[in-house]
Amino acid sequence: MNPLIEVRNLMKIYNPGENEVHALDDISLRIDAGEFVAVIGQSGSGKSTFMNMLGCLDVPTSGSYYLNGEDVAGLTDDALSEIRNREIGFIFQGFNLIPNLTALENVELPLIYRNIPAAKRHALSVASLEKVGLKNRMEHKPSEMSGGQQQRVAIARALAAAPPVILADEPTGNLDSASSKEIMQILRDLHKEGRTVILITHDNKIAASAKRVIRIIDGKIVSDTRIKEEGNQDIEAIAAKIEAEGE
Amino acid sequence: MSQFFEYLKMAVSNIRANKMRSFLTMLGIIIGISSVILIMSLGNGARNIITEQMSGIASGQIALYTYDDTGSYEITKDDIAAIKEQVDGIRGINSYMSISGTTSTKKGEFQVQASGQMASYMIFSSTGILKGRYFNETEYLAGQPVCLIGERDAVRIFGSTDVVGMNLDVMLWEKEVTFTIIGVEQAEKESMFTFTYENSPIYIYFPLTVLEQVYGMEFETYYQIYLMAEDGADTGTITTQVVDLLERRHQCIGEDIYQYESFNDYMETVNTVLNVVTMLISLVAAISLIVGGIGVMNIMLVSVTERTREIGIRKALGAKTRSILLQFLSESAIITMIGGLIGIISGVAEAFLVAKIVAAVNPVFAFTPSVSVVTVVVTTVFSSAIGLFFGIYPARKAAKMSPIEALRRN
Ligand SMILES: Nc1ncnc2c1ncn2[C@@H]1O[C@H](COP(=O)(O)OP(=O)(O)O)[C@@H](O)[C@H]1O
Ligand SMILES: [Mg+2]
Repeated sequence: MNPLIEVRNLMKIYNPGENEVHALDDISLRIDAGEFVAVIGQSGSGKSTFMNMLGCLDVPTSGSYYLNGEDVAGLTDDALSEIRNREIGFIFQGFNLIPNLTALENVELPLIYRNIPAAKRHALSVASLEKVGLKNRMEHKPSEMSGGQQQRVAIARALAAAPPVILADEPTGNLDSASSKEIMQILRDLHKEGRTVILITHDNKIAASAKRVIRIIDGKIVSDTRIKEEGNQDIEAIAAKIEAEGE
Repeated sequence: MSQFFEYLKMAVSNIRANKMRSFLTMLGIIIGISSVILIMSLGNGARNIITEQMSGIASGQIALYTYDDTGSYEITKDDIAAIKEQVDGIRGINSYMSISGTTSTKKGEFQVQASGQMASYMIFSSTGILKGRYFNETEYLAGQPVCLIGERDAVRIFGSTDVVGMNLDVMLWEKEVTFTIIGVEQAEKESMFTFTYENSPIYIYFPLTVLEQVYGMEFETYYQIYLMAEDGADTGTITTQVVDLLERRHQCIGEDIYQYESFNDYMETVNTVLNVVTMLISLVAAISLIVGGIGVMNIMLVSVTERTREIGIRKALGAKTRSILLQFLSESAIITMIGGLIGIISGVAEAFLVAKIVAAVNPVFAFTPSVSVVTVVVTTVFSSAIGLFFGIYPARKAAKMSPIEALRRN
């Protein structure tokens, strides 16, 4: 069977010519369905650039990317839109909700672009909001909700169309620690349900929720570690291990 | 296609989220469309009333005259007989001569405009008889001094319209002629073409032949005659036939000796002038519509820039180029369509208001504005078209954004 995600020799060069930035430098890796992967690295190491490639928001300078066995390079903008819609649920650091739409309307967006009829769309969106515990906030606008609630709306939106891959770029970056815990709990639950979760973070504690940790420095993968299940290790201990490996 | 409804809903919700801005954007379109409607309906209203009043007076009437001063081309009695015999569609032929004089009654001294007419005067008179009758062929041939007077004039000089059978002494060309009044003509319905004033003369109508009797004048030829076409007859054809006949009889084919004016032609001219004026003013209004359209484009461009992030989010979630294009295009089309509808309603309202004011100021000019369905449909379509046309550029700009660029911008 094909891996869910396979990238080979991925390069991303910003400003080719003068002031070149090699944001991604020869990255190759595979991610199978059902994995929970954390990509960690310092600010500016190329994590977001990598996530944009995986999410088909941007195209690599060179290298190949197979998503579900399909070669994504060289697709038209509209074909990429369709892949994003079908295959990927995004969770951004800044939530990226549309301010003048209600929570429910925001969650419905990917379903609208998937041409799902109104009644079914509504049912799916309500179910999705219920899952993140926001059934009672459906008619609220983003400005009427806390950061944690907004991020939960964004998660509901990412889940509503049941895409195989959840891509989260620093999902807790703008949140206090209590909200962060909630969000991470939801991501862990999603993984338990069998979804593929790719989590991007600079925070070892956050990464500790994952089962596999990929470390990036200056656009290169420097380590790719599976976290062994060693009984009831707590998050702190795992985070310390990840930290140690990084040194 | 089902998704199209979703884009409309998005567009409407965004218009509602920016009510004030949307309204101000619409204002340009509202003003443009309402001016077009106002001008069209005033123009139509004016045309209707002019047509109505003119056709009451003179529809079907043709004046035929010659500028010849040698005398050899003047229209003879035989010519008239020949026209009657050979040209179809003519109800009657008349010629007249007006002279002025004075009369005095118990009510005072009055100027008189006395008009000698043929017996066919009854066909040419547009108002109808109130009391008595018109003079007939016998009285005409005999040169009997009988006359008709208008209802208002009768009241002015006798204080009553019961004047049939009364005598009226008129000084005409230094001779006193005693006319017996045989009929009172109804007053004309007041229209924008009737002007009566304090010292306007008294009009009387009598058989032209009276002048032969009194002054020994001979009316063998006329330099001007009037033809009345039958209802529905084509005045153009009649005119050509009559001119042909006269040219043949006077051996002057193609020399343009005989000139003519048809009131139907005249009406056409009036109509053309009104059309041109309406078109010109509408053109100005249309220019204001285009200015309104540019306003819509301007606001849509601002909106696209402001909503770059929204566009990025939508694209990240799977919106295609076409989806974004339709969303923004719907927005500008809806804005201009609503603007157009408000414009139509306010244009019609303004037209009725103007008509009301005119009627209050001077009832003679009173008219009903008329708005045709075609005008309404055309302006609605046109205003939506403006929205589409001026919305395309901003919508394309939005649709072509790369999702990653759009998301990066704050
Ligand atoms: N649009 C861009 N143009 C030029 N350089 C960029 C652009 N986006 C990112 N970079 C550069 O690429 C590198 C990786 O950035 P990014 O992927 O955002 O890192 P991270 O998410 O790990 O903080 C950084 O040096 C950054 O300055
Ligand atoms: Mg980043």
